[in-house]
Amino acid sequence: MDSVLSLILFIPLIGAAITLFTKTRESARMIALIASAVPLVLTVMIYLQFNSGLAFLKFQFVEKISWISSLGINYYLGADGVSMPLILLNAILCPLTVIYAWGENKQPNQFFALILVLQAGVFGVFMALDFFLFYIFWELTLIPLYFLISIWGGPNKDYAAIKFFIYTHVASLVMLLGIFALYFSTGVNTFEIPVLLQAFADIASPEMRVAIFLALFFGFLVKMPTVPFHTWLPDAHVEAPTAGSVLLAGVLLKMGGYGLFRVLLPMINGLGQYRSDIITLMAVLAVVSILYATFLALAQKDMKKMVAYSSVAHMGYVMLGAAAFNFMSVSGAMFQQFSHGLITAVLFMSVGVIQHTVHTRKISELGGLADRMPKLAFLMMAGFMASLGLPAMSGFVAEFLVLTGSYLTLPVFALLAMLGIVATAGYHLWAMQRAMFGSYNEKLGEPHDLAVYEMIPMAILVLLIILFGVYPAPVMNVFEYASKIIPGVM
Amino acid sequence: MTFVDLISQFAPEIILTISALAIMLIGLGLEAKEKRALGYIAGLSLVLASLIVVFRGTYGFPLEGIIADSLTIDPMSQFFKLTFLLVSLIVVIASLKQYDNHQNQDEYYTLILFGTIGMMVVASAVDIVTIFIGFELASLSTYALAGFNKKDPSSMEAAIKYFIVGALSSTLLLFGLSYLYGLSGGLTNVSDIAEFFSANPTVIQSPLGIMAMMLIVAGFGFKMALVPFHMWAPDTYQGAPTVISALLAAGSKKMAFVAAFRVLLIAMIAVKVDMAIVFTILAILTMTIGNVVALSQRSLKRMLAYSSVAQAGYISMVFVVMSPEALTGAVLYVMSHAFMKTGAFIAVAALGYMLVKENSSAKDVDHLDNFAGLGKRSPFLAFCIMIFLFALSGIPPTAGFVSKFILFYSVLKGGFVFLVTIAILNSALSLYYYARVVKYMYVLPPPSSEKLALPRAYSLAIFLALIGVLAIGIVPEPFINWAASAANVLGL
Repeated sequence: MDSVLSLILFIPLIGAAITLFTKTRESARMIALIASAVPLVLTVMIYLQFNSGLAFLKFQFVEKISWISSLGINYYLGADGVSMPLILLNAILCPLTVIYAWGENKQPNQFFALILVLQAGVFGVFMALDFFLFYIFWELTLIPLYFLISIWGGPNKDYAAIKFFIYTHVASLVMLLGIFALYFSTGVNTFEIPVLLQAFADIASPEMRVAIFLALFFGFLVKMPTVPFHTWLPDAHVEAPTAGSVLLAGVLLKMGGYGLFRVLLPMINGLGQYRSDIITLMAVLAVVSILYATFLALAQKDMKKMVAYSSVAHMGYVMLGAAAFNFMSVSGAMFQQFSHGLITAVLFMSVGVIQHTVHTRKISELGGLADRMPKLAFLMMAGFMASLGLPAMSGFVAEFLVLTGSYLTLPVFALLAMLGIVATAGYHLWAMQRAMFGSYNEKLGEPHDLAVYEMIPMAILVLLIILFGVYPAPVMNVFEYASKIIPGVM
Repeated sequence: MTFVDLISQFAPEIILTISALAIMLIGLGLEAKEKRALGYIAGLSLVLASLIVVFRGTYGFPLEGIIADSLTIDPMSQFFKLTFLLVSLIVVIASLKQYDNHQNQDEYYTLILFGTIGMMVVASAVDIVTIFIGFELASLSTYALAGFNKKDPSSMEAAIKYFIVGALSSTLLLFGLSYLYGLSGGLTNVSDIAEFFSANPTVIQSPLGIMAMMLIVAGFGFKMALVPFHMWAPDTYQGAPTVISALLAAGSKKMAFVAAFRVLLIAMIAVKVDMAIVFTILAILTMTIGNVVALSQRSLKRMLAYSSVAQAGYISMVFVVMSPEALTGAVLYVMSHAFMKTGAFIAVAALGYMLVKENSSAKDVDHLDNFAGLGKRSPFLAFCIMIFLFALSGIPPTAGFVSKFILFYSVLKGGFVFLVTIAILNSALSLYYYARVVKYMYVLPPPSSEKLALPRAYSLAIFLALIGVLAIGIVPEPFINWAASAANVLGL
């Protein structure tokens, strides 16, 4: 089991290479399913072995091979409480996405290969403990999604794909500047993330520390994304094929949140006199994201766009929890990452099915779908309920912890964020009511209900959402302990 | 040094010279069809020379001052020699198909070999006269090569522009170098000149000295295609036969860099003339104008030419920073860029060849529209072009990323945050026009669904470049170490 993380990381890549050369749709999707399911099995295995009682920045399943020794760059992988649940999330979502996309018939070999590359890139981001490696995987995730959008996307795909690519690439480059600055200012001559983070507080100039923090912060903000850097996301979502949207919202946005916890939170106490300003900045961005995106979601006519904006708002809770910087809020925020990954996948899959069967996503053109598509209505309803934070679903646990936790340190911001919850319930229920209930709109033709391959992943996700809503401990414990020991959070 | 030593040190050059002469002689008695064999001779001699450089001459030959202190064998010279040899090899392989029935193949391969020898002389030269001779040898060969398609007016135009600008820049350079010669009281060895000026700084800080530096900067600036001396490059790269554009962009332009590293860096260090401002402006202008103009190009060869200008801007940051790390980055960047650019140009040449074969009246084969749907028509070619373009824009895990990483890292380490920020913004900008080609290849529908058959010679050439790009990207350590030891010899 010494190189289990590498196995998890490279099996999808190898699978992608094989998938690319398959001739038929059947073999392409079969290989893709195997190549994405094997990492899931391995991940569950190490999850069971994972010792969640170990301190933050203590890594398990570590692999370290010297790569560019003159610059102190290593191939360095490891997992701890912050990354382990996200690795699990990625491992769960990708095979489900492959199943959901079972019917894909436009260049299926390329399609499934790209999904596998995306999976590998995200695994790499969550596992890398060397900034150089981290950056490589961070950038590697751009390419498959760019193609997923620009080849399989909607009518305005070119614009959306290039906007997504440029926007997040620029953010990555700013992050790269921050990484360089961190490397030089600490003078530790290594790109190992834990070492650099520990050396961060020793940088003599406080302005330098703030500059480094902000450069890295910007990289993560755009990825999350946070208002006002969110504009690429709705475009990308609307144009992306469903599988792309699921992975974009389900795991790619989590990279930004992961950056907050992995890199930024351990730095916060090193900011000295600027600490409170930065925390206020984070809290303001978080609350603006929550409220602004929620109200935009309320105004959307296109259901997919609504879900996209709801993602922005939900990632705002992650930021808020991080900003509040206490153990409850931080573990809640981490749990929100995990839970939102599952929930948003159900939402995008539901919208995808609607688009697929009745060929429109305009809420006003829908109506009474529950009549003809009861299975969809049931699963979609479950997803919407989870998204608006119904108790006994994972979203509730996350938001409850975030809001309670942030009320302790940032009461005003927590109260403002709660307004968002009300509006969230509003747009979800309203959309459900108009799209699913009432009398059936006959113009939509005779839709068929969920296909088996669509129902399986959605049902599994809903089960997981309820499972972790009722019994969050397996994931929560891992996060909880990790967040307790982030320096200064107690 | 004995005669045998000398021969063994310069075995690669000697092999190339012999085979160049042999090709010329053998070619006299051959029919056009049989002349194809000459290309194999050229290719084999390049392989042999590269192997010798790799196995014998990479490390452990710090031999200064061979033949009246004019040539040296050191990691720097070997690094660049290998770069030039590989570029020429790739170009020769790609030419095998392009010109397999051409009447003048013998001249063609001879010129490529002589051009390569010229570049290798420059790589080794530590004497201003020798540098100039190497330069002229390489330039005269490439002038002729640029106009090799005699019946094509644009090829002639390319050659004439290249020749006139090249002659002008040689004149400026010679003028500047002769000033150095005069001011130093008759010294030609670069390190002697540097030593003399360190001892007598007032001489070089005189108006005449500054004039000399400016002339040299302008002379090299033309060769390196720095803005505002770049105007010839797009026209020449576009008009020349595409495989030769690869040689120009990846070979002869890189030769100017190695000469500039040797002459400018050493001279500047010694005389402490503050050229940083001049080069900051040149670097910023070069990368920005190169990228901005590349954005609007619809001809892929022109786009690659302007992107090459922009990339020269990144490399020229080394003249601002002047640190061993920056030089390491720049040296590595030169090799990476040589692979990426050769690969990209050869791929464009391959597409052009296939399109002309498909429809003999095809015009403007490098137009962006011709790349539509290439992913379906020729998956291997499209995939390689994608890798080359992503590498050029600095996306991991490719040579372009590693070398950009090290270059930007070193500039930041030197404390030039402003400069590196501009470079990073430019790098982001460049992604747009590179990604646009990728979009054309994979997203747009192909004009016809018929597959294009990529000739084996082209596949091999492109594959070699691809290996170079990926090797530096994935196993960068040995290349970085070599580049670092190359940078060391200048003693910055």
